[in-house]
Amino acid sequence: MENLNFEEALKMLEEIVEKLESGGLGLEESIRLFEQGVELSLYCQQQLHQAEGRIMRLVKKLNGEFELVDLELE
Amino acid sequence: MNEYLSVSQLNNYINRLLIGDPVLQDFWVKGEISGFKHYQQSGHAYFTLKDENAAVSCVMFKSRIRFLKFKPEDGMEVLLRGSIAIYAKQGKYQIYTQEMQPYGIGGLFLYLEQLKARLESEGYFAPEKKKPIPPLVNRVGVVTSQDGAAFRDIVKVLKQRHQGVELVLVHSSVQGIEAPLELAAAIELLNEYGAVDVIIVGRGGGSFEDLMAFNSEEVVKAIYNSKIPVISAVGHEVDFSLADLVADLRAATPTQAAQLAVPDLIALQDYINNLQERMLRAVKNNFQQNSESLDRTMMRRVWREPMVIWENKREKLKNLQKELLDEATRKIESKEHQFKVAIASLDKLSPLKVLSRGYAVVHKGDQIVKMVEDVELGDKIQIDLTDGAIKATVEDRERVNRWRI
Repeated sequence: MENLNFEEALKMLEEIVEKLESGGLGLEESIRLFEQGVELSLYCQQQLHQAEGRIMRLVKKLNGEFELVDLELE
Repeated sequence: MNEYLSVSQLNNYINRLLIGDPVLQDFWVKGEISGFKHYQQSGHAYFTLKDENAAVSCVMFKSRIRFLKFKPEDGMEVLLRGSIAIYAKQGKYQIYTQEMQPYGIGGLFLYLEQLKARLESEGYFAPEKKKPIPPLVNRVGVVTSQDGAAFRDIVKVLKQRHQGVELVLVHSSVQGIEAPLELAAAIELLNEYGAVDVIIVGRGGGSFEDLMAFNSEEVVKAIYNSKIPVISAVGHEVDFSLADLVADLRAATPTQAAQLAVPDLIALQDYINNLQERMLRAVKNNFQQNSESLDRTMMRRVWREPMVIWENKREKLKNLQKELLDEATRKIESKEHQFKVAIASLDKLSPLKVLSRGYAVVHKGDQIVKMVEDVELGDKIQIDLTDGAIKATVEDRERVNRWRI
């Protein structure tokens, strides 16, 4: 799960929902998919609120290092 | 009488002279448009091109007009490319217009057209090279001027749609001689840095000349080479910039670019909630289906009247046992009968039976004496009878011919 990005997780979640909706699954299989889907949807939710809202300016210093400077906008 | 020409022949001759002149068949001319008329019916346009001292009639056919990148108007200075021919009906020459550009920016226009054609032929604008914008963008790279209105617009709209979105600005000048290289370097820097999901490259509106940096080959190539999807956001007065053509997504303004760059977080949240609900509903349905199927199974006779099945089996077992027993009895009786018969015939053949009828068996040692020659006079013999034996000595012997059955 840690290796997934949001897009992949969302796609997997969509596939699981479609599979579950198409029916004809055994009980065990559908519970397994459901558990996986819950995990994926929680992961997606968490990704939505992950960013901290900083506004930064990126510069490359002379020694080649990146530097992020917070910007204050009125 | 002098020789003469018809008017048609005259105009034809003059026309041939004009058509035969290489200069007059492909030239650029500068002038001011007047009396511009674009006929809706035919689609052709007629106008006069003039300067302070002279004027010339021009026609531009529908097939060429559709390539025009601007709307010609009276009083407009233009650069026009065309050829000269006679309009025989009126006996006047006119320019047949191939293409036309506004003068002033005309030179830039020409450069731009040529650059566009070359980059296009080199595949820089190919639709299949376009990268999709990811559905969730948490970090946006922005390449523009830190002090420009474009940057403020982008920040404002991004924050409206996605509170938590992070912006990584790489400042660049957006016009002037150094702008193309700075813009390209900024795009490359963001790619080197890597940790942004999408890049917005742009500036607010300006004159055609102001926007030229976004038409530079450097910027086109930097956008093309970017591994991170690029949204172009050049405020427009003309209809395109090359940055727009090469970008993965084109926005008309920086504001629109910000809208395209990040999802509406609330809409995305709703969508995920909706997926969760669908999943829950599907699992419930699935549960119900399985449970109904279990009910149907439980309704079957075996579960309602299990004794019936058991009775049936028991009955069958009983029958089999009985059959087995009967068969075995029959076999035993048949063997017993055979045995009795065998015993009976054995009894008839028994020598003891014969002895009991008065016969005797004569032994000499171990041998049974069957013939007279089996003994000599004086031999000791034993005579077995039904109740014992007699020991005797042979005193005489005589052969007698007995008839046999």
